[in-house]
Parts: sequence; C-alpha cells; structure tokens
Amino acid sequence: MAYINDYAYYANSGAIPQDKNWGSYQYVSLNDIVNNFMLMYQGNHELINNLNRYQVLFHAKRGIQELNYDAMKEVKVLQMDLDDNLRFILPSDYVNWVRISQYLNGVLYPLTENIQTGWASTYLQDNNAKIIYDQDGNVLKPQFSQLDMSFTSGAKTIYLNESSAYNNQSGWNVDGCWYFDFGIGARFGLNTETANANPTFSIDKQRGVINFSSIGNGASVVVEYVSDGMENGEDGSISVNKLFEEYLYAYVKYSLLNGRLGVQEYIVNRARKDKSSLLRNAKIRLSNIHPGRLLMSLRGQDKWLK
Amino acid sequence: MINSVRNTVLAIANKNNYGYISPQDFNLYAQQAQMDLFEDYFYQYNAWTNKENQRLSGSGYADIVKGLVEVIDSFSVTRSLAQQGANLFNLPSDYYLINKVNYFPTQITSGTSTAAGVNTLTDTAATFVSSGVKVGQQVVNTTASSSYSGFSAFVISVDSETQLTLSYSPFGVAATIGNSYGIFNTTGIVEVERVNQNKIFYLNNSPLTAPSTGFPAYVLGGATTSVVGDANTGQLGNTITVYPTTITNNGSVTAEYIRYPLSPKWTYQTLSSGEPLFDINQADYQDFELPSSDEPGIVAKICQYIGIEIREGDVYQFGKQEEVQNNQIQT
Repeated sequence: MAYINDYAYYANSGAIPQDKNWGSYQYVSLNDIVNNFMLMYQGNHELINNLNRYQVLFHAKRGIQELNYDAMKEVKVLQMDLDDNLRFILPSDYVNWVRISQYLNGVLYPLTENIQTGWASTYLQDNNAKIIYDQDGNVLKPQFSQLDMSFTSGAKTIYLNESSAYNNQSGWNVDGCWYFDFGIGARFGLNTETANANPTFSIDKQRGVINFSSIGNGASVVVEYVSDGMENGEDGSISVNKLFEEYLYAYVKYSLLNGRLGVQEYIVNRARKDKSSLLRNAKIRLSNIHPGRLLMSLRGQDKWLK
Repeated sequence: MINSVRNTVLAIANKNNYGYISPQDFNLYAQQAQMDLFEDYFYQYNAWTNKENQRLSGSGYADIVKGLVEVIDSFSVTRSLAQQGANLFNLPSDYYLINKVNYFPTQITSGTSTAAGVNTLTDTAATFVSSGVKVGQQVVNTTASSSYSGFSAFVISVDSETQLTLSYSPFGVAATIGNSYGIFNTTGIVEVERVNQNKIFYLNNSPLTAPSTGFPAYVLGGATTSVVGDANTGQLGNTITVYPTTITNNGSVTAEYIRYPLSPKWTYQTLSSGEPLFDINQADYQDFELPSSDEPGIVAKICQYIGIEIREGDVYQFGKQEEVQNNQIQT
C-alpha cells in the first residue's frame, strides 16, 4: 500500500500549497522513528524494556542533530538584504555556515571570511584611559565599540578590495615605474589569503549577526547554512532522510543501552559497532557515487594541463 | 458459574447442616476471592514473561502468557475522560490500572443531542455534512453528569445534516436528549505518555522533549473533592493533568484501562424448603467475570474464608492446599 496516493503526492489532494508532498518520500518523520522504535525495539522480549517514550524522543532528536552537523547534506539557503549597519541577522535555526555569497547583477559572488575580527566589546574610559564604573562598581559599557562602528561604516581592510588601506593612495611614476610611500612593491609574492576583490564578512556568534565590510547597505546576501534539523521545535515537521533511518534506530538503541545500569559491556559494544557501521553505510549511500557521475569525472583524465 | 461455585462450596462446607453459608456472606467472600485471583493474573503475567525470556515457556498451546493476556484484556475498557477544567481530566472510578491515554487532536464539531434514538445522534442545530463529519469518526458523550459520560461510538453513516447513525448509543437508550457530544477525527491520534510527578518539571523545561501536541504527556494526580465518583461504589477516581496545557478540548482525551471486575452477586427471590432459590433474572445479579477455568481457584479461596467463619479448620486447610497445589501446577 502506498503511503499516500498520487493525487495527494502531486497536488496535495487539492489543498494549498500544492507542492507540499513533493519529494516527501525521501524522508521519514520523527513521529515514525519514535513510533517504530517503541514498537520494534523495546518490550518485554527485547533488549530494552520499561522505557519512557520521551527517552526515545530525546535520543532520536539528538541523533538527527548530530546527522545534520556532519553527515547530511541538508543545506538551507536564506537570501536577505543588509540593513544600514551592514549586518545580516543569523537565521533563527542557524548552527553553522557553509557559504556566504553576494547576489549582484544576477550572479552569486562567493565571499571570503575576514581573518580579522570585526567586532569587540569595550568599556567607557575617561580622557586618561581610566575605566569608568557605575555606582554599584560595575564597569560601564557602550553599546558599540570603535571597531564595531568602523566596521559598519566601511573600515579599511587588509584585503585587496575597495576597502583596502592602499586603495586610492597616491604614488609617483618615474620613468614608467610606480613608487609609493608604503611597501606595496617591496614584498615579493602575494598573500593569497587576503587577495580577494569581493567584500568580506565575519560572524559575530554572540550577537547573532554576520558583519560585512566593503559592501553597500541594501546589498543582497545569500547565506547557505546548516541547521540541527529541529525545525524550530515543530516536532511534526522534523524528518530525516530514509538512508539514515536504520542508523537512527541503532543510535537510539546504543544511547539507551549505554546509559543503562547492568547492561553487559559486550551488548553495549555490539550496539556501538552497529551504530558506527550504519553511519558509515549511510554516508556512502548519501555520497551517491554511481557510474554516471564517475564517468563525468573520468572524462577529464586526458585533459592537457598547461 | 456463580451458582455452580456456591453449590460446590456448600457441598464442601456442609457437615450435618452445620456449614450453611448465607447468600450475603457468600457474596462477600466471592468478591474477595475474585479480586484476589484477578490481581494474581498480573503477577503471573510478570512471572511468565520472565520465564519466556529464559526460554521456559513455549509457543502454541504452551504459550501461557497468551492465555493470561486474554483474560486481562477482557477487562480492558476505552472511555473518553471527562474534563474537570483546563487540562485536568477525571479518570474513571472503576479503573485498576491505566494502560494507555490517547489524544484526539482534531475535533470536527460538537453540539447537543435533541432527540432520542437507538444508535443514532440527532441534533437539529448541527450541520454534520457541511462540517465534514465522515464515516469512521468518533462521537463522544461529553456530558459530565451523564451516567454514560465518556462513552463513545463510531459514525456508521451520515444520514443528513442533522442526523448520524452510530455503532452504539453513547448517550444510553433512554436519555439521549440534552447530552452534549463531540465528534473527533480518528486519524492522527497520539498517545499521551505517563510521566512521574518528579520528572514532569524537567520534561516541561527541556527544549528537546517538552510535551507537544505530537508527543503529549500526563501526570497522575489524586482525586480532588469535586471529582464525581461512582454512585454505586462511592469511589473517587483520580485525575490526570495533560501537557502541553493547550490540550483542553473536552472529549479529546481517552483512556484505555483495565477495570476492576464487577462484584459477583448470587441472587434469589423465593425460598424453596427454606432454602433461597437461585434466580438469575434479578436486576442486581452478577456472575463471576473470571473465566470458568478459575472456578477451582475461586472455590478454594471461598473455602478458606468459610473455614474461618464456621471455625472449621479442615475446610480452611482444604482451601489452602487446593490453592497451593494450583499455584504449583501453574508455575
């Protein structure tokens, strides 16, 4: 029996949105994972009994989180315009970033992470650089530091882009050769780490924003990021690729056995090996290596490199 | 079975017309004996489950657990729980243990019945068809004061905008007018998980496992003074508090529980030669609810009580030995 009929799949049974079920067959829901585990892996004649459902729910969610961090390729993409402070507020379900690009004239320009910090906390100080305290003895802190403000107002950077410290500096041309007051020509080679003409960004995790430099406000930025798969706490929306289904059962089983009193070590070890090998299998499956893809790559083997 | 038990007991206890047991005393002992054996089923179930895991019990006719489960399941009842207020629901007064609590998240419609009828629901103010009432959905009697409160039935057919044919009469046959009801979708039902009082605080504060409508939880609480108890037994049912606190729909929470067996009652109306004559047609007649295979056990139990009553050590010893032998065979 099909899980849903074709009409439900292609047209959501006439309801809005019509594309709700497209591709849904790839995934198994958290509800199903918990339900199946309670049905098949716990009971009077199973390895695990006297189990609370919330324990399974906890470990299942933890397993899905772990998968989202390092195994699954479920990258989310969010495009937003920058505000006046050249900041991009991190998505509500942001855990880590994959790639950040500027969308300009219909083209995505991948941006480089600035190796220098773009923000700092600071204390209020008097003219003699003495720290100022309030009546309770706590140090007074302004909302923004000088670095914060300079970054949002287009601070100079060491990157070779529009905000470079050397951009628009004067020099002298003598007999066809350029001379400057600084050592731009005296260094051999190029620091490729900073040799990028695109704007740069740095992520202020504590404040939950991405700071940009040498970019205009209102610029359109595309952030590709990974989440933990918790769908903002909507249990009904949490799902995981079917390729990881068996791994999740093994993960939950191992986690429960590992934390239980009196379970023999060889049983815990068996569960641990199950979990590890199933994760490896799932990763291989998800890597989607098949002859068609290999062929495309191997076709480049005879290309001449100059 | 009850008359057979009584006759057997009287035959055992009879000694020169000395061992006569009145129907009132017999009924008291019968109730005790039945309750004793009923409770024993759960301990036996546990013991035999352990034996199964040790490969000391087989399958097929050797499946002892299966037989025990069948008896226990015969006491299984499903009732919608009356709402006492917000997310607080009353448990039935006759429950022995709660097996499962379920939550029906989708209510289709609700209203009040306006006409009497067997296996029908009539509500002149309803719009069953327009509201989306369909065959298979569950109708729950949500009138707390009704003796049929919590009874439910399934929709067999949607006859019109104002009438449904049901699989059962959830309002009783005589008093179907003026009872409130709710109709619930039977898909998407989720189990409400029992959580101990000492865990619920942590559970509610856990971002990963906080109860949600997809994974709700409940804690068991004592009876409150306003809980309506069973009029016959005077027992007060306990209450459950369901989480998340948004689950406040009357009729949406049902319990599947194991009830206590009804008190057996050997009844008579006339005397014959000074002896009460067994009459099965009395309104308060109630046979034993345990299977016939338990008759020897019940007889042995009652004999013990009677042996004490008539101060007859032999009768007591006989009952005791029978019970011990029976237990040895079963284990």
